[in-house]
Amino acid sequence: MTTVLEVRNLVKEFPGVRALDGVDLDVLEAEVHCLLGPNGAGKSTLIKCVSGAIEPTSGEILFQGEPLPPGDPAGSLKRGVATIYQELDLVPDLSVAESIFLAHEPRRGPLLDLDRMDRESAALLARLGHDSIPTRAKVGKLRPAAQQIVSIARALSGDVRLLIMDEPSAILDDGEIDTLFDVVRRLTAEGVGVVYISHRLDEIRRIGDRVTVLADGRTAATGLPATTPTDQLVEHMVGRKVEQLYPDRPAGTDRVLLEVRGAKRLPFVRGVSLEVKAGEVVGLGGLVGSGRTELLRLIYGLDELEEGEVVFEGKRLRSGHPRNAIARGLGLAPEDRKSQALVLDWSQTKNVTVSDLRRFSRILLDVGKERETARAQLRALKTVPDDPDRAVRLLSGGNQQKVVLARWLLHECRVLLLDEPTRGVDIATKAEIYRIVAELAGTGLGVLVVSSELEELAHICTRVLVMREGEIVAELAGEDATELALLRHAVAPIEKPDLVEEVV
Amino acid sequence: MSGRTEASGTSRGGALAQRAKGLEFQEYALAIVVVLLFVAGSILKPETFPTWDNVRNMLTQASVVGVLAIGMTFVIATAGIDLSVGSMVAAAGVFGGILIGDDGTSSLVFILGAILFATFLGSVNATSIAYGRVVPFIATLAMFSVGRGLALLLNDKLPVSLLDLNGGSFGDPQPFSLLWFGTGRIFGIPVSVFVLLAVTILGWIVLNRTRYGRYVIAVGGNREAARIAGVPVRRIIFSVYVLSGFLAGISTVLLCARLGSASPVSGNLYELDAIGAVVIGGTSLAGGRATIVGTFLGVLTFALIFSLMTQLNLSTEIQQVTKGLIVLGAVLLQRPEARY
Repeated sequence: MTTVLEVRNLVKEFPGVRALDGVDLDVLEAEVHCLLGPNGAGKSTLIKCVSGAIEPTSGEILFQGEPLPPGDPAGSLKRGVATIYQELDLVPDLSVAESIFLAHEPRRGPLLDLDRMDRESAALLARLGHDSIPTRAKVGKLRPAAQQIVSIARALSGDVRLLIMDEPSAILDDGEIDTLFDVVRRLTAEGVGVVYISHRLDEIRRIGDRVTVLADGRTAATGLPATTPTDQLVEHMVGRKVEQLYPDRPAGTDRVLLEVRGAKRLPFVRGVSLEVKAGEVVGLGGLVGSGRTELLRLIYGLDELEEGEVVFEGKRLRSGHPRNAIARGLGLAPEDRKSQALVLDWSQTKNVTVSDLRRFSRILLDVGKERETARAQLRALKTVPDDPDRAVRLLSGGNQQKVVLARWLLHECRVLLLDEPTRGVDIATKAEIYRIVAELAGTGLGVLVVSSELEELAHICTRVLVMREGEIVAELAGEDATELALLRHAVAPIEKPDLVEEVV
Repeated sequence: MSGRTEASGTSRGGALAQRAKGLEFQEYALAIVVVLLFVAGSILKPETFPTWDNVRNMLTQASVVGVLAIGMTFVIATAGIDLSVGSMVAAAGVFGGILIGDDGTSSLVFILGAILFATFLGSVNATSIAYGRVVPFIATLAMFSVGRGLALLLNDKLPVSLLDLNGGSFGDPQPFSLLWFGTGRIFGIPVSVFVLLAVTILGWIVLNRTRYGRYVIAVGGNREAARIAGVPVRRIIFSVYVLSGFLAGISTVLLCARLGSASPVSGNLYELDAIGAVVIGGTSLAGGRATIVGTFLGVLTFALIFSLMTQLNLSTEIQQVTKGLIVLGAVLLQRPEARY
């Protein structure tokens, strides 16, 4: 086997931080090399150095035996290094073919050669086994998995020898992940080396050949077989043993806090009723697009109900008025922390107190008291760093999530809606978030949690409701809520979702 | 002092250190620019530039745009823009002018009339932007045209003389008469400068030390997150355009008081001066980052530059070109993500 990529003793210093402190990595042809590590371990910095997005301070990056020009993304791309970042970077209004050839459109004289674009796009999609994706459809109309394939096709429009994928599965549901893995296997069969970053150990087992673990900017372990037991991988990552990933399941009480009756807003929510009782953690499972997020938005008042009602502690909530919901004691930690939950340039303090400024203000804000109160909440959640003035932009995903949780703890809300609370969060912090959720339930809060990680739902919830196509199709309590059972209810009778069914 | 990094410590020393950290680079830089400009002026025109008279003049002239710029800072902090302030100044002046009668109480009538009318025009902007969901650029561009049109229509394109609004005195105008706001002095300092300082200090307190100010920055920083956190986003957006209109009313009073008349062609391009001052002060046009201190220094910078250029006999055309280049240069110096 030939080595595609060799990274030797790579160091990258940012002002005040050594993000990479001597990293080694070898990627072979035709292998899927998984990169594992807690947030802040340096995974993103490493791949940015390889893709040329940033310039390393010292160390070597050899690509097919030749050094890569440092800090030159076009140079890396030309030599055959393609990178797909976590957030899809597609323009929704462009067609599939236009997206694939964005910025290197084939031309005939001064004009675009549309026929050739179509033809070559179709060929690329066929190479990935997805010639059913129409090349003229707008990217925004495709399912996330199909969009991902368009991204990959775009990366492949040059001659790619190394494909780097940064958490490609984060936005996909289980069926879509299968599709993605098929594509990855096709590429490795052609001899392409793949670097695959994920927080999900189950995926690594399914798709990976070898694993490298990064921790604190160093290679903690490299070249491990993908079959390495979870305990060992986690140990490498956190440098110690994680005693218990999942806390005990909260039991719940009989007192109903939140009641949803026949909630409807087409096309995503088609008549949903549910209850959340004090002390319960209720899971909301299902595939991406089954209407879970939309249901949370309806409950919280971000969208207006077409039919039905939401009753909180015996009284109806005004539909379409989140401020009403908050005042009554509801809190929402939305799916996308950066765009929906946080003002990134703000300090931790300001992000924690924004929903409760009334507490600190007569006419003027008492900023000293505000800061101390926020600090107490942040400390209770062990937010790192312990600096209430630090801008949340500089925090890791897990700590950003804690800032959002601190906000609602300060607000003393009684029902907490969590949408994908551990997305993009490393495994040690995940364990902490599970513990926090269980403790909150222990104090009598009701928690409604949406998650695409079935394993997580299966372990932390008192009971799990499964949504499919805008309706609740199953309720599984306690031990009955196994991953397999949840998955069986979540997928529609047709086994594999058609990737282009949403094309209009 | 900016909304981004300012925070206060508990101990007094801590509070000071935090304050210093909060004063951002751009504010320091601008303060130095202001000092350098003053030194340059003093060297180039030692007889006329560093005189009390000249300083007084500069500040009086700066006060009109300065008051507008404070309002503009709030608007831009929400990631909005108000292109109509110049037109509102003209319309409010003429509106106040046609209200006055011959008696001595007309100062109050003019002042209230102008402020109320400008606030009303600001509310029209506010309604169409916050509730009609019109893009701020377009809504206030429309008001730019409507305001100017109203100013011309209200008194048949003619200016209104306000020279009688001196409180019935034969010498210096009576305190709190209209002309007093233009030519009156307290301890030798023009009244209009006190007005500018008061508006600036209040603006700083409101933006940095009240719940309202925090909400304004939140809306500009991340509108969706602000809504989910329970910030009354629409009301906040509504309010900044009303505030901008109200301050345009105050600005109208200062301008008309100084000129002794209300002209339908006054206030031309004031919106650009105000926006320019806000931008060189370091407030981000993308919203979410605003500094009143920076805006104030921006206003002073412009005032110094134009006073100096005028004294060096450079034409207004050259001043115009310079103004544009300064704004462009200042924006290019900002962090890339804060530019638009």
